[in-house]
Amino acid sequence: MRLLLSSLFLKSPFEGLQRHADKAKECAQLFKEAAVCHIQERCKAFDALTDRVARLESEADAIKRNIRNHLPRGILMPVDKFQFLQYVSEQDKVIDQVEAALYWLSFRPRGLPKAVAPDFLHLVDSVIPPVETLAELVRMAMDFFRSKSEDQRKKMKNLIQDIRQHEKEADLLEQELKGMAFRTIQDALVVFHTVRLVEIVGDIADHAQNASDRMRAMIAK
Amino acid sequence: MDVLVLSIATLIGLYMAANIGANDLANAMGTSVGSGAITLNQAVLISMIANTLGAVLAGGYVTNTISKGLIDPTLLAGDPNKLMIGMFVALLSAGICVHLATLYGLPVSTTHAIVGAVVGFGIVSVGPGAVTWSKVLSIAASWVISPVAGAGIAGGMYFFAERRILSSDDPQRQSERYAPFLIFFVFLVLILSLIFKGLKNLHLEIGFFYTILLTIPCAAAAGAFGRFWIHRQMHPGGHVRAEQAGYSPVDRIFAQLQVLTACYIAFAHGANDVANAIGPLAAIFAVVKTKSVVLSVEVPFWMLFIGGIAVGGGLFAFGTRVMETIGKNITEMTPIRGFCAQFGAATTILVCSRLGFPVSTTHVLVGSVVGVGIMRGMGALDLRVLKNIGLSWIVTLPFTILLSMFLYKMLALFLL
Repeated sequence: MRLLLSSLFLKSPFEGLQRHADKAKECAQLFKEAAVCHIQERCKAFDALTDRVARLESEADAIKRNIRNHLPRGILMPVDKFQFLQYVSEQDKVIDQVEAALYWLSFRPRGLPKAVAPDFLHLVDSVIPPVETLAELVRMAMDFFRSKSEDQRKKMKNLIQDIRQHEKEADLLEQELKGMAFRTIQDALVVFHTVRLVEIVGDIADHAQNASDRMRAMIAK
Repeated sequence: MDVLVLSIATLIGLYMAANIGANDLANAMGTSVGSGAITLNQAVLISMIANTLGAVLAGGYVTNTISKGLIDPTLLAGDPNKLMIGMFVALLSAGICVHLATLYGLPVSTTHAIVGAVVGFGIVSVGPGAVTWSKVLSIAASWVISPVAGAGIAGGMYFFAERRILSSDDPQRQSERYAPFLIFFVFLVLILSLIFKGLKNLHLEIGFFYTILLTIPCAAAAGAFGRFWIHRQMHPGGHVRAEQAGYSPVDRIFAQLQVLTACYIAFAHGANDVANAIGPLAAIFAVVKTKSVVLSVEVPFWMLFIGGIAVGGGLFAFGTRVMETIGKNITEMTPIRGFCAQFGAATTILVCSRLGFPVSTTHVLVGSVVGVGIMRGMGALDLRVLKNIGLSWIVTLPFTILLSMFLYKMLALFLL
């Protein structure tokens, strides 16, 4: 029997978004592990970690497609659908950049030049918290759109501020690293590899911030 | 012969009533189960009692509209059997339509089905002139007006709740503050409908002024008791009650208010939809009893009672699974959303019922749910389903009109 009333209700897309955000968080944590591993010599786990990230990226892509495919015209949501889909896109770019950064690291198996390695790890450390915060933000968003609690909205705004702060720090580190690469590395190929790698890692925080900005627009009064 | 006719007509009427309970009422009560405000068994018990009370105390107006408002009975004065067979055919056609719709999973309204069937027999028995088209048009208008009104009232209620309660700095305090007023409004509409319609069935005439004088203190007393009750619930032993997992204090308050609206909607359903089965039955009984076409069909108390019981029985026998499924599917329905949707739906149904429009409970409820959704109150709503609703409006009427015309011709061949 077809039930008119229940057929009106769809599963909330925020559940899929939460799973996607959790994948992003997992990817970010593995990325840090892989980056540390790659910088240390004779690390054998790097390839395995890269494979795991690639698998997670593929799973996240499937979730993203599922979210998009189940939001055709005529679906009424508590938020602007355009903003929501933009959020999904930005969160997905976070994972894409994590994967790209790992691939870029793998292109130079000898690791990074010793002069930039410690600061590169600082940069990696600075881009992980925004991604982890995104997962928390989505979890809070699910609660917020059910309860519409002002208290919850304030907490979310604070988290968004935190992400902005982390992104700012990551930007500064990114610029410093680029300068350092040009100052300390003589080999043009290595400079190019380092600068590109730093840019890709910096993009992780940029996309996390873009996603949080979309979330800010979604919770606007 | 009379006993046979009455027995068959009664059986078909009861079958219709059971179908109404299994579909319309189950949908209406499903929101309460979905939000977790009441359990499945509580929903069945509340519906059976409140629906029967609604049918008995407030079902009269619409019953009259169905039996005589749609057809000018004076045109059939020379041959009362035509009216009897016509109403029999109307019940049968609507029953078949609802049965087929249930079988093939089509979301048709039982109200639309009975209206179409009555119109169909009117056209074929006397001619298009027998049908009071202005009445049909006003009913058709109510199909648009009632979901829109439901959406407006429910959406407005949610807007108020979100602004004043949910988005406030202290939602619990605000919900404790506003809950008595909400209880007041629920009781106000409920008591007004009871007095305007229920007491009419009990042959007590009270003027408008006295009605208001009686209603406001009663509703205010209910609100005052509600305030005391909620305060006791939220502050046991003078302490603020701790938040339970997955159920905020505000949810708890609105879950209690939703028990009230669940009773309210079951009552409204009884007042409005029991007529779909009982109206034609009342007309048949009147013809058999008087052997003439009566201008005014007096609906006996026992008939409304049995109709109410049959609708409740239909819900109990076939609707529990429907409600269970709805309850599982609409996890986004929190008590506050459920309260707003049900309040909007029940108020619209009672007002339309008061005006004599046989509106569809399911469609009004859909309008109310969409109204809350438009106010950004639902997780995700599939508005494409509204196309199906529109299609069901278009399909149901011609189908039941044609079926009723065909069945009438067939029966007339043998019986007239």
